[in-house]
Amino acid sequence: MSIHNSKAYQWLDINKNTCISCGLCVDYCPRDVLHKDEDGIPFMKHRDDCWYCDVCAFICPKKAIKLKEVPYPIK
Amino acid sequence: MTYHIIEADVVILGGGSAGTIAAIKAKTKDPNARVVVLDKGPIETSGAIGRGMDALNIVAVPGYATPENVVEALTKVTEGILDQECAYVLGEKSLQVIKDLEDYTGREPGDLFPIDENGNYKANYLHPVDYPMYLAMDGEDIKRALAKRVRSLEVQVLDFTPAVRMFTTDGRISGILAFNMRSGEFYYIKTPTVIITAGAVGKFGLPRDGYLSGTYEFPGNTGEGFALAYHAGAHLINLECFQTNLLMKDFNGPACGYVVIPRGGYGVNALGERFWSHGYWSGDMFLAVWRELLEGRGPVYLKMDHLPEETITGLEKILWGTERTARGLFHEQRGEDYRRWDSVEQGMEEITLCSGHSMSGIQVNKNAETNVPGLYAAGDCAAVPHQYLTGAFVFGSIAGERAVEYSKNNKAGDLPVDLEQIIEEIKLPLEQEGGLSPEEVEYKIRSKITQYLTPPKSDPSMTKLLWWVKRIREEDLPRIKVTSYHDLIKVTEIRSIIDCAEMAAKASLYRTESRWGLGHYRLAYPKRDPDWSDKWVVIHKNSETGEMDTMKETVPEHKWNFVKELEYEYPTINLDIGKGYVHPPNSDRDPWIEEKVQREGFVVPTRLVPNGSCDK
Repeated sequence: MSIHNSKAYQWLDINKNTCISCGLCVDYCPRDVLHKDEDGIPFMKHRDDCWYCDVCAFICPKKAIKLKEVPYPIK
Repeated sequence: MTYHIIEADVVILGGGSAGTIAAIKAKTKDPNARVVVLDKGPIETSGAIGRGMDALNIVAVPGYATPENVVEALTKVTEGILDQECAYVLGEKSLQVIKDLEDYTGREPGDLFPIDENGNYKANYLHPVDYPMYLAMDGEDIKRALAKRVRSLEVQVLDFTPAVRMFTTDGRISGILAFNMRSGEFYYIKTPTVIITAGAVGKFGLPRDGYLSGTYEFPGNTGEGFALAYHAGAHLINLECFQTNLLMKDFNGPACGYVVIPRGGYGVNALGERFWSHGYWSGDMFLAVWRELLEGRGPVYLKMDHLPEETITGLEKILWGTERTARGLFHEQRGEDYRRWDSVEQGMEEITLCSGHSMSGIQVNKNAETNVPGLYAAGDCAAVPHQYLTGAFVFGSIAGERAVEYSKNNKAGDLPVDLEQIIEEIKLPLEQEGGLSPEEVEYKIRSKITQYLTPPKSDPSMTKLLWWVKRIREEDLPRIKVTSYHDLIKVTEIRSIIDCAEMAAKASLYRTESRWGLGHYRLAYPKRDPDWSDKWVVIHKNSETGEMDTMKETVPEHKWNFVKELEYEYPTINLDIGKGYVHPPNSDRDPWIEEKVQREGFVVPTRLVPNGSCDK
């Protein structure tokens, strides 16, 4: 099921100190997984649609986002 | 009015490889044409190659192979069930694809693709024929390059806006209905032509780990291409040939074999023995894997430890740097190392319908035309067998040019339906008080597909799947409750998966033989039948009854007389396990239970407190 809060377990590691809230990862996620929270920081709003394709990390200009691990069921 | 109206000449469903190049070619041919691309995601990253791709798996490049060689290879791996004209065009135009990609990316020969000492593109062996037709590619950025070209040509791109309905008027294409998954805005696009480039049925069988998005194919591809074409009256073929590729187990990551095998790697069983003659993804190889597992020699592995260190390092760079880059992380967290022979466990992919690596899809001719006027198809949803990424570009290009030509002389008819009513129907899951989540229903139909359709195929099981299809379609689909437009599209996706399951089961039950190795290994007919050696199974919607019809059609006569079989035989299975113990017969009447029913009826008595001993 999709999770709708930013506090639940996520397999993306997002560095809030280096993220500039540019939204590129949100705009270019091919599965519409990422959305911004109230502080402008991306989180996995639709976590279980993630294909762990790594586009978010690839597209981030500040290298503020990375895959911490592959999704738990396949780890 | 609750929707936007757009008038177009060409609408492309899916901005993946085939879709983006179709848009480029259509706009290049006629810069005034109104071309619209719809996609579930942003076209910069969506589809099968969003994060890049590492090879064109089939090409005919000078010095290495000819278009006739491509026809020979595909005639063999399809076991003769092939329109050879399509295969010839695939080979003939593959060099143009290479040139186009170098143009879009601004990269030179030798950079995007390797070249040899003579300046020719350097191909390697992969297919089960004696010609090198695999061309490596350092293609991390090609999707961005394609998208950039599309946008520079002023194509109207509607990102996050997938199509949910396709309309015909008097049997011809007349329009598309789509909605934006973020804003909920609906779009009616009036158009005389549609090019379906919506990819494989990536979400079909359920991956063995149960993660819905853990598919081999891009999980945004859920069979809408197949389903929309079917409901518009298009013919679909080869739906009984299931794709069940040999992948990196659990990760389900692609390209592992096709990157490693052309560089000296090969598959071994748990004893370290090479278990099959080649590593190409044809049905014979999958049958060989199935045999290893059945006879207790699994798991199987991809062996690389015998390769030079430089080659292993190079493989790590390619495999961890393009397409599914999480691969490196996956290995790292399991402590796996390509320098150990048993490090990369391989597993059979959940079953999928796809033409790129297999054979299933919308029937098209060499011009990418379907039988519905104005409807074209290209890429993984169009049944040009084993066409890979090369075919997506070749037939996407052709479809773009053909569609724009068609639109000059054909106008879209008026809509024969009440759009407002259809939109209301589509939005119903948003308005329900309560119900099932889309994930629950998706899990259910996909787990049934895996349980009842995975080959070797059983007739009673496939018939049982049809029972489940009817039940889930009638009882569960109407009960789905969603709270966002992001999830609303999943209702359409599940509908498509159900349609595809019905098509796959009916096509499989219709073809009274086995063919394509494990792809259509049918236990009730466990051998090839020569009567089927030149026949397609065609699935289509009966325009009068609205029911799904199945028919046999002869494959276009072959121009080239190449070998039509792979070198394998179906096994003779002897599972004799003895007669078992037979105890003396019981009476078929039981006075005790008869009396009980007579005395108590069907009401289950409450006996939780024997003799009332718990009274206070």
